[in-house]
Amino acid sequence: MELESKVNIQTKSKQKKDWKKWVIHLFPIPALAIYILFIIYPLFAAFSYSLYDWQGIKRGAFIGIENFISLFTTEPFNSMFWNAFQNNIWYFLLEMVVQNGIAFMLAYVIYKKIRFAEFFKVAYFLPRLLSVIIVGFLWKLILNPNFGALNVFLNKIGLESWAKPWLGDPDTALISIILVNSWFGLGFAVLIFLAGLQGIPGDLIEAARLDGATGPKLIRKIILPLMVPSITIMTVLTFIHAFEAFELVYAMEGSMGEPYYSTDTLAVYFYRLAFGGSGGADSVAIGLGSALAVVLFFIIASISALFLLVLRKREVEM
Amino acid sequence: MKRMLGLFLGVVMVLSLVLAGCSSSETNSNASGNEGDNGSDSGGDKVTLTMGSWRTEDKAAYEKIIKAFNEEYPDINVEFKPSKNTEYNTILNTALQSGEGPDIIQLRPYAPGMELAKAGYLEPLDDLNGIDVFADDVIAAAKSEDKIYGVPLSLNSAQMFYNKKIFEEHGLKEPKTWDEFIEINEKLKKEGVTPIALGTKEGWLLSLGHSIVGPAHYGANEFVDQITAGEKNFTSDEFVSSIKAMDELKKYFPDNYEGLGMEDIRTLFFTEQAAMFPLGSWEIEVLREMNPDLDFGFFPMPSAVGKEPTMTTWVDGSYGLNVNSEHKEEAKKFLEFMTTEKFAKLFASELSRIPAVPGVETGDELVTAMAEASNQYSTPYLMLVHFNEGNPTTKATLETELQGMYLGKVKPEEVAKKLQENAETYYEPFQK
Repeated sequence: MELESKVNIQTKSKQKKDWKKWVIHLFPIPALAIYILFIIYPLFAAFSYSLYDWQGIKRGAFIGIENFISLFTTEPFNSMFWNAFQNNIWYFLLEMVVQNGIAFMLAYVIYKKIRFAEFFKVAYFLPRLLSVIIVGFLWKLILNPNFGALNVFLNKIGLESWAKPWLGDPDTALISIILVNSWFGLGFAVLIFLAGLQGIPGDLIEAARLDGATGPKLIRKIILPLMVPSITIMTVLTFIHAFEAFELVYAMEGSMGEPYYSTDTLAVYFYRLAFGGSGGADSVAIGLGSALAVVLFFIIASISALFLLVLRKREVEM
Repeated sequence: MKRMLGLFLGVVMVLSLVLAGCSSSETNSNASGNEGDNGSDSGGDKVTLTMGSWRTEDKAAYEKIIKAFNEEYPDINVEFKPSKNTEYNTILNTALQSGEGPDIIQLRPYAPGMELAKAGYLEPLDDLNGIDVFADDVIAAAKSEDKIYGVPLSLNSAQMFYNKKIFEEHGLKEPKTWDEFIEINEKLKKEGVTPIALGTKEGWLLSLGHSIVGPAHYGANEFVDQITAGEKNFTSDEFVSSIKAMDELKKYFPDNYEGLGMEDIRTLFFTEQAAMFPLGSWEIEVLREMNPDLDFGFFPMPSAVGKEPTMTTWVDGSYGLNVNSEHKEEAKKFLEFMTTEKFAKLFASELSRIPAVPGVETGDELVTAMAEASNQYSTPYLMLVHFNEGNPTTKATLETELQGMYLGKVKPEEVAKKLQENAETYYEPFQK
């Protein structure tokens, strides 16, 4: 009898434990539900939309991959696609060099424990706390050709010939936007690199020093290889960010990627196709837009995976 | 240091939560607004209608208009809920697709607005009381397959505004011929005043500018008839010369015009730094608000090919009825009200715009003069009225190609060719 009840208690507590284990799996459900509703579902919805013919905002017949074909073979869709694609690549390359390059140097300087390091860290990160739209608006004012701070400053110091309609000239518009974006994203990159630098054990660097490694050599042979994980993260994030570039372009140049499509990106082009372009009064092509979204998804997913694969191989075990 | 990183990430996460919170509270307030509507339904006596529009700047005026409507129908609440011009279509389309949307919908004029009718989201209004007061070419803006889907709201006109004070100071008069117009520009430029406030950063300003300058060169309505019949096309000399004229005018634009948008050129005009301003009638109200002392007038565009001067006119939007509205009868009462002279008078005086209801005294000298000139010298906004279809639309193509032309990337002939190629994809008279 006694034994039996003991067993009973044991199984009960075991049951309780099982129940607990099981219930733990329920906790992700709210987050998962949101994720499915807002990420997974739209993904598949876009994929299915891209296979239909659309008259305005009404879904028509199933047409297979015809939307994809016209996206790549008919004018002006194909030239717009390649133009936007090219701009995206510029976006990525320039951000890698300017944003991540400067961020790495700044992170290194902060890491070397200069004075007010804490202050600089916060200062670099501050722009990131602003909404992208505010950043866009702010820089649009600064870059205004006739009343903007930049051109007024250039005129004041006698460099009139340098003053340009920055956002209106196709030669400078894209670069201006990328630089603004780099300014915006700098702080985040500094943080990632700084975390990477601080993850390197001090004794390792000390040992290298004792072996005679200094300055550039130390960076090249010791620090950089050990920083590969942070560099991987920043490369992939920058790539994804560059190929999703939308907000700043939209805020500063509108949905037409003005001037003359010189700041058009794939995401802006997608917006224009799916939701209508100039002045919001344009007609929409949801089928083509969805096809473009699907293509964009595959570009980002496959190239990010490739980056991870290649860069992971270069990571050094400590 | 890791702690610092954690702290930062924490701050970022909190901030993003706050942001998310803001956006969700916005939707919440919308949702609760709808609940409020339903609540008043169940009360039985008071009905609330919502009105969708892209004219956020007209909110105060509509409140007065609704008040006037309520004098007759005190039991029908009307809420004017505009959204930003450039987002309006997106917001509206999404709502309509999910079977919602406002009861009364402001429709873009001509083809884009009628897309909603084709998709079956609009109730035909052929038997609405009072719909027959409108002229045929006015009602055409809201007609699809011989059915009427909207009550036209106002007529827009695009013309050259000019600063009377600057004209006086430089001894200039309203031009009667194209050559006189060019002389004015030359004189102003020589005397250090920016002649024409126009920038090329925003494409829509260019198609609008072309709608004002173009008819003077392609020969206004005669050419419009020919091109819509398929006898002429965009590569015809008449049209190419209108693009060339746009190109020539760039000498008279402000410095750095490539980088100037709507706000910039408006500022140049109301701060009296520029003498002329090619824009639409809707700007009168804004200009007066920005600078109440600004003394400005307008002139119809003088022809370069020996014809009558032109005022570019078109219907700007109309109001349609949502097919899924739960209060169609009440909404029709409001739409009927919009065909009355009482509404038109109020609309004209509150917003300084030309009402679509004909023969209404506006009580505003400038608006009245413009309404008269529009009657006399009317030519359609070719791109908006006849060529606002395709993907991208022919109008949007003109916008980007003109932008390219001003940036030295395309020649006027190529602009015309691109337009023709684009229009041929859908425009039946060109497909013969």
